[in-house]
Amino acid sequence: MVASYEDLNELQLDAIREVASIGAGNAATALSSLLSQQVKIDVPNVSLMEYSSAIEILGGPETIACGIMVRLSGDMNGVILYLQELDFINVVLKSVFGKTASGYEELGEMETSALIEIGNIGISSYINSLAAFARMDVQLSVPAFCINMAGAMITVPMTEIGYESNKIMLLDGNFKCGGQKVSSKLLLVPDVKSLSELLGRLGVNK
Amino acid sequence: MSSLLVVGISDVKMTKAPGVLITYALGSCIGVCFYDSAIRLGALLHIMLPDAPSKIDNVFKYADTGIAETLRKMESMGGSRSRITAKIAGGAQMFHVPGDNHLGNIGKRNSDSVRMTLLKQRVRMLGADVGGTFARTVEFDTATGVAKVRTYGHPDKDL
Repeated sequence: MVASYEDLNELQLDAIREVASIGAGNAATALSSLLSQQVKIDVPNVSLMEYSSAIEILGGPETIACGIMVRLSGDMNGVILYLQELDFINVVLKSVFGKTASGYEELGEMETSALIEIGNIGISSYINSLAAFARMDVQLSVPAFCINMAGAMITVPMTEIGYESNKIMLLDGNFKCGGQKVSSKLLLVPDVKSLSELLGRLGVNK
Repeated sequence: MSSLLVVGISDVKMTKAPGVLITYALGSCIGVCFYDSAIRLGALLHIMLPDAPSKIDNVFKYADTGIAETLRKMESMGGSRSRITAKIAGGAQMFHVPGDNHLGNIGKRNSDSVRMTLLKQRVRMLGADVGGTFARTVEFDTATGVAKVRTYGHPDKDL
């Protein structure tokens, strides 16, 4: 049994990275066909970090971003957070509306609906493929949306696991659109019990 | 230029004038600025959760134990309980998942716990900027006791 994130060994981290890659690959395929251009998500990094360093690594606390968050329930409890910065948002806007925005304040109702929809499709492809691979039944909530300081959005999953851990496990993958790196990240934060369950299904929960 | 001390999550820092304390991007977390104006001693606490469990890993993660421990530290630096005042900011709800109150109410629970603990500890609260759906950065100047609250999309506010 894994009692806390700190207990994870190398083999388990590798197994988690493997399933996260499957999720990221499927999310990338779904986004590629939606945006009619090649979207790639790097082999995800799996890292265990103190809260404050996690925020630094994700781009600093006051960076403004657009966040789409979905809550997971069923065999896996936790949160998935999809952070998109303006360069990625513009890839979406260009593909859907044929125009771009020069700042977050230009994003109206139409634009945010498109971002939520794209985000939700990316998230569901990620989770559904991961769940199918691990033979877990995972339900997704409707997506919640916010444009604000990324640091404050990242504390949402941290608060979720705050009573269990002083560290957060981040599964993050960097996005490339049409060969160019864009600032977008998918963060999956399962609670410790679900993580243990996932490792059990993968056969590495010793 | 006075020194800027950065307070992380589940953390506290204390300094005397002219020191300036800052904590970034408070979402549902709360920043509590403590001030003893007679000796111009200030502390900024960044809590994440309302009440400490029985087994405590870090006292500054929780409102109740964080406030008690910060007051103790201030007293050991010459602060007086009867003079210490507090200003608070944060406690927002960043995401609203329809039909889900599990995530949503943590900011509210944090601000309730902070208010209750300050009351129990007999610390007067001089100002609060809590709730809403946006993040706050708090910069606390120990020379003046003013806490400047910076947000995205809203005007700055002095507490």
